[in-house]
Amino acid sequence: MDLTPLHEVEAPNEMRRRVHRRRRWSVLVIAAVLIFAMAFITAQGLRNATLFFRNVDEAVEQRSELGERRFRIQGRVIPSSVKSESGLTTFEIVHNCVVASVLHSSDPPELFSSPWIPVVLEGHWVDGEVETVAGIDTHYFSSDRMLVKHTNEYASANEKRITDEPPEGFLDQCSFEVPAAAS
Amino acid sequence: MTAAANSGAKMTATPITRVLGVSALAATALMAVLGLVVSPPDVIQGEAVRMLYIHVPSIWIAYGGFALTSISSILFLRRSRRRPDQGRHYDRLAGSAAEVGVVFTAITLITGMLWGKVTWGTYWQWDARLTTTVLLFVTYLGYLALRRLPAEPTVRSRRAAVMALISFINVPIVHYSVDWWRTLHQKASLSVGRRPEITGEMYWTLLYSMLAVTILATWLIIHRYRVIRLEELRDEEGLEALIASRLNKAVGSH
Repeated sequence: MDLTPLHEVEAPNEMRRRVHRRRRWSVLVIAAVLIFAMAFITAQGLRNATLFFRNVDEAVEQRSELGERRFRIQGRVIPSSVKSESGLTTFEIVHNCVVASVLHSSDPPELFSSPWIPVVLEGHWVDGEVETVAGIDTHYFSSDRMLVKHTNEYASANEKRITDEPPEGFLDQCSFEVPAAAS
Repeated sequence: MTAAANSGAKMTATPITRVLGVSALAATALMAVLGLVVSPPDVIQGEAVRMLYIHVPSIWIAYGGFALTSISSILFLRRSRRRPDQGRHYDRLAGSAAEVGVVFTAITLITGMLWGKVTWGTYWQWDARLTTTVLLFVTYLGYLALRRLPAEPTVRSRRAAVMALISFINVPIVHYSVDWWRTLHQKASLSVGRRPEITGEMYWTLLYSMLAVTILATWLIIHRYRVIRLEELRDEEGLEALIASRLNKAVGSH
């Protein structure tokens, strides 16, 4: 019985090398694309994910070392402090009873209008005396990017109404009073 | 008789999977009615909250699919040498569960982006939850690519099984990323040992959606398993036919 190849292959070793080379290249290309994707994602993650934002109290405490560096700050918006004029929005955010005044220069997301909504703002500290609900402050936060950070609490709009009351216990330890929002 | 039956084509459906398929379809339709009509809008997010009913079940199915891939891979690695079929059914189950897991991870990412645009004000942010989820997606795409690379089937399955186990490390990282790091993403909507922060109809709709999507995913995994088996049969039959024709020609030449 003859089981030699039916068609003569010219230079079989060369053919085998060519097939292996092609396979090796396809493996290398797929591996390179995946490694690049993973490296990019990991780099992005290391840069942003570990400290995505500073809470207001931390950002105020680290003010001198932050200087004019760009960073993200997180706090709840005090509803009575929100004012909009000629494309600029000013308001105050609070976390752990520390208040920061904000001057924001882009359109806020739709949910910004919800009272006491937590927001993450991107920007930097600016020298300048401002008055907040907690007293006079020497700096305000200038931001050009706002992200609304909603919680994992969901309530039916049929059963619950939005109020200007702060979340339960949120301001209990604070030494200042927050005025009610103008209706 | 259908053309498929005439040509001797093999189908992946059986009476049980047909019942499962119809159940999946009915369950998904009811899920749509509950999620879009019966369930109320959220007091803050409004209608956007309806994304919850597809986003959360999708990631749970993805976790479940990847867990099944890992368990099947362990069984394949432990038992492949002792079984007459070399544990190929574990390998098939691992592959089909990973495919479904990848599809549902993609659904999670897409629905999350759409939901994020409405609530956060952006489609994407590189926070810990989003970063680890996209890493999970890319890793399992790599796993599926590895399963397609040309190699001897047992060797390829063994390599894929090892990669499945490595890839699974990221699953708990994704889930707990919202607790371990500060993220834009909210904390888990449902967690063992933690009171859910969702009210009545919304809570039950979410639980029901998880059940409906689980039935759908089970049906998909069964069919993908059978398709993989049919692909193997096709390759085996093709190889046998080739050998037979070569033998006939060799005998004929003498």
